[in-house]
Amino acid sequence: MEISIAAEKLFSIGGLPVTNAFLIGFLVSVFLILLTQIVVKKMALIPRGAQNVLEVIFEGLLSFIESVLGDKAQARRFFPLITTIFLFILVSNWIGLLPGAGTIGLTHLKDGQATIVPFLRSTSADLNFTIALSIIVVLTIQVSGIMALGIVKYGKKFFVSPFHKPYGLGTIMGLLELVSEFAKLLSFSFRLFGNIFAGEILLIVMLHLVPYFIPLPFLFLEVFVGFIQAAVFAMLTLVFLKMAMMEGAH
Amino acid sequence: MEALANLGVNWKLFLAQAVNFLILLFILRRFAYRPMLDFLEKRSERIEKGLQDAEAATKKLSEMEEKEKKVLTAARSEAKTLIEAAETAAKKRDALHLAATEGKAKQFLEEARTKIEEEKKKVLLEAKREIAEVVALSVEKILKEKVDATKDKQLIQEMVK
Repeated sequence: MEISIAAEKLFSIGGLPVTNAFLIGFLVSVFLILLTQIVVKKMALIPRGAQNVLEVIFEGLLSFIESVLGDKAQARRFFPLITTIFLFILVSNWIGLLPGAGTIGLTHLKDGQATIVPFLRSTSADLNFTIALSIIVVLTIQVSGIMALGIVKYGKKFFVSPFHKPYGLGTIMGLLELVSEFAKLLSFSFRLFGNIFAGEILLIVMLHLVPYFIPLPFLFLEVFVGFIQAAVFAMLTLVFLKMAMMEGAH
Repeated sequence: MEALANLGVNWKLFLAQAVNFLILLFILRRFAYRPMLDFLEKRSERIEKGLQDAEAATKKLSEMEEKEKKVLTAARSEAKTLIEAAETAAKKRDALHLAATEGKAKQFLEEARTKIEEEKKKVLLEAKREIAEVVALSVEKILKEKVDATKDKQLIQEMVK
């Protein structure tokens, strides 16, 4: 049993080390594109099968986004980002739970001992992905805030003159707010990574301790956690977007 | 940076993941979300329109029913008056007809009566003449002689009168 915090390298293409997490990320993307294309191409007025499921997800998400943003046009503008985050994280989280995660893979020798580099590793259990996604999200939040309020007004949220009403207190609060914008980056990426990675390790450990039945509740738990983490990431993105586009309360 | 590298962060992979996600985002936005949301919107519009149409149709139906009722009652009353008028007209005509036939019958009767009278007169006249002749013959037989034709006739004429 070998637990590696980093995603393991399978092979490399032209200098890019392809890790199992990246491979899964790519496959999840292909899966989502194919799934939506199949549904979109066969879209019928009376929904059936997969179309029903996707419609429920899309309609639910759209109405939720609309209720948070309070504006229909804005809801449609941010719908793609929120939905893609949710679907991508959800599917990649659940793929890590499939049987074979951690057991099927390339063998490779390490310190004279044969170990397995598994093919399946949830993309969310790779810091490269979570940090990349966090940076995309945080940048989107800042850009949306600036576009909605204008750069001066948006900047005033963080840089408050100490000679106005709360006298100095506002300045400190503003600076704290600025720090929290950077903290978002860390909290976003490490929350997702930590939860999913810990879940995978938990499953591996349980499987090694008691191979039958006992790991089952933990598997259910991880299915739940996978959904919750996807929802949390998407919702926090949405809420932060809304907060960035609102005028400062202080 | 060293700490991050220990956690498996590799700028090449990091970039690859970011690009992968962005490509997925754009592809899905262009080819999945937009058609899907447009489709959903269109359908909800269609359903709304269908509901409105149904409501309008039921309203129209009830209006039509009301109209139908009105027309029916109007038609019924009109028919009643028509029938009444026809009845009175028929009665009038019957009366007229009866009067006419009665008149005709009277006329016929009258005519018949006059004819009979005339006939009677004719018959009577003829009878008188015949009687006169018979009387003349009998007288002639009784007298066994003839005065002369003219005197005889004169005589008979006087007698008969």
